Amino acid sequence: MTDEPYRWLEAVANRREYIRDQLKDATPAFAVSRPEGVLLMGVGVGQSKVFEIYDRLALAALGHSVDIERVRQTAIEAAHLEGFTRDPADVTLRRLLNFSLCPALKSSFEQVFAAPFLVELLMVELGSDRSSDVMARVNYDGSVRYLTGQVAVAHPSSTTESAATEWLQGQLTDDLGLKDVVSRLITAWRAMPPGKPFVTPPTDGPKDGSIPKPGLELALLDRRSSSRARYRILNPNDLA
Amino acid sequence: MNGDFLALLPRPNLAVSGMERTAASTPRLEGTTVFAFHCADGVLVAGDHRATAGNVVFSDTTEKILELDAHSLMAIAGSPSVALEMARTLQTSFEFYRRSQLQPMSLAAKLRALSRLLRENLPGTLQGFGAVAPLFAGVDAADGKPSIYFYDPLGAQFEAAAYAGSGSGSSSVKSVLHYLEKWGPHPATMALPDAVNLANRLLMTAAEFDAATGGVDPAQKDFATLKLLNRDGIRSFTRNEQAQFWQEARP
Repeated sequence: MTDEPYRWLEAVANRREYIRDQLKDATPAFAVSRPEGVLLMGVGVGQSKVFEIYDRLALAALGHSVDIERVRQTAIEAAHLEGFTRDPADVTLRRLLNFSLCPALKSSFEQVFAAPFLVELLMVELGSDRSSDVMARVNYDGSVRYLTGQVAVAHPSSTTESAATEWLQGQLTDDLGLKDVVSRLITAWRAMPPGKPFVTPPTDGPKDGSIPKPGLELALLDRRSSSRARYRILNPNDLA
Repeated sequence: MNGDFLALLPRPNLAVSGMERTAASTPRLEGTTVFAFHCADGVLVAGDHRATAGNVVFSDTTEKILELDAHSLMAIAGSPSVALEMARTLQTSFEFYRRSQLQPMSLAAKLRALSRLLRENLPGTLQGFGAVAPLFAGVDAADGKPSIYFYDPLGAQFEAAAYAGSGSGSSSVKSVLHYLEKWGPHPATMALPDAVNLANRLLMTAAEFDAATGGVDPAQKDFATLKLLNRDGIRSFTRNEQAQFWQEARP
């Protein structure tokens, strides 16, 4: 089949359609660059969405739990081998994505006779200040987009993702503490229920930023910490 | 995937660590003093800063108390090239396990990992250039209690009830700690400032009898490397903190 170009294109198109259909009801993941560090949030019922990768690297993902796990393990192995062989300072998100993860994802996507990765990813690297934080949006086919804003959202629908990102960028002013940031993220999460487009929350009306139960996952790559490993799981009830 | 970092290394054909090296390392930490004892706030691990090569002082700024992860410390005595490589291997192994398995490695497994590295270093130990006799302090995740362990160069591990020491100057330290354990005041009940001062006095005593141990000079704010380990993690003491404790203890 792959000898015939048109059938190969059709197979790839079918594959994209299949992946989008499988992911359409997935709930979003968020990453926000703040003065305190990079905050990651996901709401997964019975499934984790937020993970530590290396000293300053973290992952937020949506999709099939087994595929998330395969990507996570690959990233952890590559990062630790690189950190051990050279130095932890040489483990950067750009190198990890460009030379390890993205080629593997693309290669897997193009194997049209094997099951594809059902994942959408946000990967972040903590910098010494906000301007040096790196956030990347990685798609199931290995394509990557480095984000220039301070908010990143991963959602199966690019339209919904853009609308939520734009709304959050307007909401997350510099004076907010982490508790208020989380509250805004939860409001955005509630505004895009599974399979539906983003509905802009009313400007003056009540916003439901209360903590959803169960399944809220919060983690911070802590800029203020002096330890090597900066990843810290946050308890939403402890936020000031 | 079982979280074993050492099993991962052969894949890209990386050497496991420095354990296969055959060249003799120049500086040696046999002339050194590291020790650990229980105090009221946890386990205090201390060491001097000196590395020697024969009768030459190779360095007076050597870090011998190494943080392996948030709840493990290793104090090194022996060949620094091998000891530092062991510490780096363990640091990566512990963090790799914690991140990949989504749970910290147990204290027993950490102890065994160090044993394994020491055993694999047998050729270096027998040839006389790469022996390492470390101390290990770790916290048991189950009960949050910190413990002290010492090793022989072949990898046998022993738990120390109250204190342990390694290196050429450690016999003086262990003698004093034995005296205190038997007749008091007991280090295990000492408050932190007293324990920090005791550690510095012990190091001064070791330096008095062992030329290869770097001493303490309070006038220059030159104190021991000191780290406290307990269920909350690891706390390092700066020169200024130690100077303040020292000043407050003066009669």
